[in-house]
Amino acid sequence: MTDDRGKCDEVRRNFLRGIGLSAAATVVQPAWGGQTLGDAFAGFFQKHYQQMSPEEVEAALERIERKAKARYGVDITCKDTPPLEGVVFGYAINISRCKGYRDCVHACVKENNLGRDSQVEYIRVLEMDKGTSNLEHSDHYYDPETVPQEGKYYLPIQCMQCDDPPCVKACPVEATWTERDGIVVVDYDWCIGCRYCMTACPYWARHFNWTDPEIPAEEINPDTHYLGNRPRERGVVEKCHFCIQRTRNGRQPACQEACPTGARIFGNLLDPDSEIRYVLANKQVFRLKEELGTEPKFWYFSD
Amino acid sequence: MLICAVVVPAISGLSRANADDASVAAGPVRFEGYPDAPEVFVVPRKDELFFYPCDQCHAAMEANPEIRKLDTAHHAEIDHGRGRIWCLSCHDLENRNFLKTLLDEPVDFDEAYIVCGGCHSSQHKDWVFGAHGKRVAAWQGERTQYNCAHCHDPHDPAIEARAPEPGPRARAGLELKTGTMHEASPVWGSHGTDSEK
Amino acid sequence: MAIIRFIFDGIREMLRGPREYWIALGVLLLVVAAGAWRYVEQVTTGLVVTGMSDQVSWGFYIANFAFLVGVAAASVLLVIPAYIFHRNDIKDVVLVGEGMAVAAVTMAILFVIVDLGRPDRLLHMLPIPGIGRLNWPVSLLAWDVIVLSGYILLNLAIPFYLLYSRYRGREANFRLYFPFVVISMFWAISIHTVTAFLFSANPARPFWHTALLGPRFIASAFASGPALIIITLQIIRKVSTYKVSQSVIDTLALIMTISLQINLFFVGAELFTDFYNEGAHAASIHYLFLGLGGFNSLQPWIWFALALNVVAVVILMINPLRRQTRTLNIACVLAFVGIWIEKGMGLVIPGFVPTPLGEVFEYAPTGVELTVAAAVWAFGILLFILLAKVVIAIEQGRLRYPDQASKGFRSRQ
Repeated sequence: MTDDRGKCDEVRRNFLRGIGLSAAATVVQPAWGGQTLGDAFAGFFQKHYQQMSPEEVEAALERIERKAKARYGVDITCKDTPPLEGVVFGYAINISRCKGYRDCVHACVKENNLGRDSQVEYIRVLEMDKGTSNLEHSDHYYDPETVPQEGKYYLPIQCMQCDDPPCVKACPVEATWTERDGIVVVDYDWCIGCRYCMTACPYWARHFNWTDPEIPAEEINPDTHYLGNRPRERGVVEKCHFCIQRTRNGRQPACQEACPTGARIFGNLLDPDSEIRYVLANKQVFRLKEELGTEPKFWYFSD
Repeated sequence: MLICAVVVPAISGLSRANADDASVAAGPVRFEGYPDAPEVFVVPRKDELFFYPCDQCHAAMEANPEIRKLDTAHHAEIDHGRGRIWCLSCHDLENRNFLKTLLDEPVDFDEAYIVCGGCHSSQHKDWVFGAHGKRVAAWQGERTQYNCAHCHDPHDPAIEARAPEPGPRARAGLELKTGTMHEASPVWGSHGTDSEK
Repeated sequence: MAIIRFIFDGIREMLRGPREYWIALGVLLLVVAAGAWRYVEQVTTGLVVTGMSDQVSWGFYIANFAFLVGVAAASVLLVIPAYIFHRNDIKDVVLVGEGMAVAAVTMAILFVIVDLGRPDRLLHMLPIPGIGRLNWPVSLLAWDVIVLSGYILLNLAIPFYLLYSRYRGREANFRLYFPFVVISMFWAISIHTVTAFLFSANPARPFWHTALLGPRFIASAFASGPALIIITLQIIRKVSTYKVSQSVIDTLALIMTISLQINLFFVGAELFTDFYNEGAHAASIHYLFLGLGGFNSLQPWIWFALALNVVAVVILMINPLRRQTRTLNIACVLAFVGIWIEKGMGLVIPGFVPTPLGEVFEYAPTGVELTVAAAVWAFGILLFILLAKVVIAIEQGRLRYPDQASKGFRSRQ
């Protein structure tokens, strides 16, 4: 009898151990959209970025890194570099220099881990007829042999990082807000995907992930920021964030770097010696749809 | 003159920085023609010049100041200024390793902007302050920018037209249809066609 | 407790009925199941299975949402005559109207939920620190969440109290429920005004950015809502012995006539204002009515809707026709469908065409959207049938708490 009980005990122990191991395995094996069950659970309860403690942010960053590893097999770093002091970013484009190459569009896609399949592009270049600023007569899909074309000029449009952003007002869950350095950011882990911000934006700058972004693993940019170019999922809104992962470390945004004609001028609006301030003081600058009162921090000028 | 203050004499002593390593340029320059002109590092050009130093050949050749058309085996066809300038407008006949200003002062190839700015003063001013040309690498701190000749071949400075990168596509699963929206006519179009001369 | 018994008795009443009742429920449940199946597809693949795009980022779901909030608001057209003007004939059916309001608001909320990219994050809308963050009072969508939730609560709580009182065979305490009734009247107007403001608050969308949008919403709600109530009351009259006085129908038809006239006047005002000196701001209405740049997929629909509304209002304006059941019902169906088109797709889609960057990109709902939408409608109809069943049973005295006091009670508030 003792033997039987011993055997029963042993069977029970093995059984329980088996369950324990399976449970532990379920928690740590990728199962939920590339995440482990534990990560999915923690992600569900993740708070709004502005309400997380530093430890919670750290945990969230690590979850993002693990998820990218599980999904793409790539080691990424995800940081939440804070804004620099005394910096508010501004951007100006010289439309007599823009030739419509679209180098900026594609550099942005690569830098910011945009889905190659989902066709989200933060920058859209409009081919305009010279002599008019009527956007309705613009061609978004120009594809001539060479650019610039005769009688046309080119207007690249991306998020204007408004000082009075209608999208921030619209969001019902405060998933988008303006940071201290002027960048309007999105907490992709908080957004519920209602797309009200997209209706509110007068510049068509906000884009939605209608499906999961597909990025070839070898093309993933591994230097990411929580509010910027870290890999996103379907069902959330995203937009240009002035390459927050670069600009908060002093680097130029990818679009500025890619432009071969130097049409793009980026810098600190609070620095009176910056190029952007020189442009604003000395050139005939204008902003799009200024009459709507959005106060964009994105100007256009010509020589 | 004001420009003289910035001329860097002689070849020796200049660090031959690699143009790709934008932060290791020659020392910062400040154009004193404008008050408040910022200090900039200019990406060097000499390493990009295949035939430099020009003295290699020209030390043995005769200096001929006569305005004429040169054969184009080595000397570029000039498409600059529509016949108003020629080689020796910018190249120094006496010092072949240098360019020269309108006042015949020698200018190092790494400071070609001084020469260009002699005629293109508005672009030069914009370049000094960062509204023309390209600042590289960083938006703050040390300002490094490209020399004029980095983008504009001085012998054919106009930027060539080239093919654009692919345009945007419709959302996955949806079809892009072309419309007639962007067929605009000129403002005077409703008034009829151009009149006879 | 008696309340538990009340709920159980109510559920039992819902599960009791003739064969036709069960066939109706069965068909509706089938539609719901089909929609749920396709919704799973939508959640696992993403909203890419719909016809929406970055250019037209709201579509069929939100179109139905906007329309249904109007239908829900229209129940106030029964509440006001019943309680303010002491129309006892209308008071007899007011609870049916409130049941319709509950069903309509539930459908509206479901349409918002199925439109969300991340419905698993719904809790982020709760104003509870650590769980959600509601951007109230700045975001119009936050306002909409609050007013719609409040409206459901009001339209469940008041009838619950009234029905429970009758169930227990006692008079409801007028002083207790009447203030909430008054609140619900203003609340009904507010749900639809907030929904209108949701659209009109966007200067980025000139088609919606008009002060007239709020009034247009109310006018069209007060035309489409009564249309549905009239048809529904007649169906109830036919399938049950519930007393529906003809005077109720007459009053609703009159309200509907005037509202439809006002609505058509508003449409005319919009057309004049936009087309007299046509600028870029009129591009959307030009797209809707005349096409734009060769694109005109909504054009046949809007003209059809306008024709339906005009025919309906003409019928209604001819007194003998309005009083005649068959012609009245035709007018109701025409008005309901016409306003569904005009205020649904005819409102939402042109707001996105052209985009703020001048691009014309069209939208058409996909099979997934149509199936899920049909399922939401079926769910709402199902919910209404179940609620109406209980209301009728209690109002007719067939459902009573099993004690002596209740048994002989006949209510007359």
